[in-house]
Amino acid sequence: MTIFTDPAAWWIEPFTTNPFMTKALAAGLLAMATTSVVGTWVVLRGMSFLGDALAHGVLPGIALAFILGFDTGLGALAAAIIMVGAISAIPRVSPLSEETSTGVLFVGFLALAVVIMSSGAGAGAGDIDRFLFGSITGVRTADLIRQMVIAVVSIGTAVFFYRAFFVMTFDEVQAEMAGLRPKLTQGVLMALLAISIVGSFQAVGSLLVFAFLIAPPATASMLVRRVPLMMTTAVLIGAVAVYLGLLLSYHFRLAGGASMALTAVVILFVVMLGRALIRALRPAPPDDELPVQMLIANR
Amino acid sequence: MNFEATSHRRFFHRRRWKAVPAAAVLFVAACTGTSADEANPDAGAGADSASEAPSVVVTTGIWADVAGNVGCDDSVSITTVIPPGGDPHTFEPSLRDRETMDDADLVIANGLGLEESLHDTLEAVAEAGTPIFELGDHIETIEFDIAAAHGHGEAEDDGHDDEDEADEGEGHDEDEDEGEDDGHDEDEDEGEDDHHEEGGADPHIWFDLQKVANALPALADALVGAGADADLVRGCLESYRQAMVDADAQMLEIISAIPGERRILVTNHDSLGYFADRYGFEVIGTVIPANTTAAEANPAELAELAEIIEHEGVPAVFSETTSADDDAQALATAAGNVEVVPLLTGSLAPAGETGDTLIGLLLHNAQAISDALNAGG
Repeated sequence: MTIFTDPAAWWIEPFTTNPFMTKALAAGLLAMATTSVVGTWVVLRGMSFLGDALAHGVLPGIALAFILGFDTGLGALAAAIIMVGAISAIPRVSPLSEETSTGVLFVGFLALAVVIMSSGAGAGAGDIDRFLFGSITGVRTADLIRQMVIAVVSIGTAVFFYRAFFVMTFDEVQAEMAGLRPKLTQGVLMALLAISIVGSFQAVGSLLVFAFLIAPPATASMLVRRVPLMMTTAVLIGAVAVYLGLLLSYHFRLAGGASMALTAVVILFVVMLGRALIRALRPAPPDDELPVQMLIANR
Repeated sequence: MNFEATSHRRFFHRRRWKAVPAAAVLFVAACTGTSADEANPDAGAGADSASEAPSVVVTTGIWADVAGNVGCDDSVSITTVIPPGGDPHTFEPSLRDRETMDDADLVIANGLGLEESLHDTLEAVAEAGTPIFELGDHIETIEFDIAAAHGHGEAEDDGHDDEDEADEGEGHDEDEDEGEDDGHDEDEDEGEDDHHEEGGADPHIWFDLQKVANALPALADALVGAGADADLVRGCLESYRQAMVDADAQMLEIISAIPGERRILVTNHDSLGYFADRYGFEVIGTVIPANTTAAEANPAELAELAEIIEHEGVPAVFSETTSADDDAQALATAAGNVEVVPLLTGSLAPAGETGDTLIGLLLHNAQAISDALNAGG
């Protein structure tokens, strides 16, 4: 069963013969589709740090929900909403920038999670590892249904608010003039980000979901220009990362969630190096070097 | 018995980021066409080679050793999920591990929440139809001792009358020795499948050989239920159970060298509750205030614990081979003239070394504890 002598056995059979592989693939693809669409805006708007903060900010909510016996997904969502609210509130009541408030809340929430898990109440239930790294090896049908709902809601919202996100991203002045209320739009995008993270952490864990959120859209942004095409490319690249990551975990006994995240990041570097190599060999036309934002804004 | 932990799996025990270089190498290997068979010759062998003997997948090496001794003479084919040296609290499975569990005739786990990262996976495996035998369901559990774990308050009170306590401990031993037969509890416990959700029961059940010995018949039944030869297993069970009873007596003998007032343990995380309970020790504090290694030490509690150690003249702090010992070292330094002694706790020693079986591990620990507590002050 080698890649080349019997490709079907290496590339396809693990999924056709094992129901758990099919479920892992479905969970991975749903998570990747959700995060890649939302992540495209995150990458274009330079909100990566916020995304990273939110991915970790869900942890205290998960920990508390676990100890109190609530659904951990709801706990994660509650923590994410509180974090998003606080990140927008701090710059309004203080001279601190949004980036600084994000950083403070990031570390604050992470520390809170560790304090909760290390306390007497959390000691008996010290399962923080499960939430950091997810359980792609233990996906169940109920998890898939939840993920599917979240994927439909997130992608639906992203489509519905497409124009608002687009104008806000590339021309904030015009957004104000068009009455699109950029603050509200930003809030919707942050909520969307929170939901997509919550929907994915069970598959890959809150430590690795960030790779899903950033790597495929960032890779796509190096290859294509138009936003819808960037989203589609990101989803496709993400799908390849999920598929390949699961196969690598299966064939080489690597930790499941980490294999997918690592594959997504490796693809980014392969594309980056390939692109740099091609540009070095064949100089690009001058306007090609302009940042994507400027190109679109100048139209 | 037939252990099949693949060598490269040891690359990523304990902390996931150790997987990064290994994964990168394998990724390149995959891209450049190294065959999967070359890179991983024994992948999947666990399930396939068990054409006759039932294939039994065990989460930890400790229970793999026990299962292999109950199912001796190749009456079962055993695969271990968590590699040697891996911390059962924090191990992360691969999809191949999931396949191995799904294809098995029986999965044996500790349960009681020990295998934290395998929790969801084990539930999904059970849902997919593989029977799961959790030893925690067949052992009378003790509650995780919060007071001891926090190293202050009650522990300090305990400290003042520790001589009485320790004496009580000694007497207590003998009672247990003669009268207590835990075998009867098995039926009661069998119903409580959801133990591990409660979080109150201490999952480190393998440190009390008497309790483990009493759980062996249930384990033997499970092996036979999975298709192992009943006569073979019965023979194995008898001799192994006897070996365990002998080792238990040997433990008591080793421990008896420690005077009652010196039977005080300070451990890395709260893993020695059963050991203390069975062999008459008192755990006065732990470096990590939890029953899992996936939590963090608290400086105020550590400082307080250091004072208690100094005050009581405790000669040694016990660390674990599966966790970093820097907090234990810091505690020992803060407390003065205190030795840090590594114990085998969540994982067996590598094959061929002392402590590569459960009985060997416990005897090794008993000797190390006895030596450490009898040395110095």
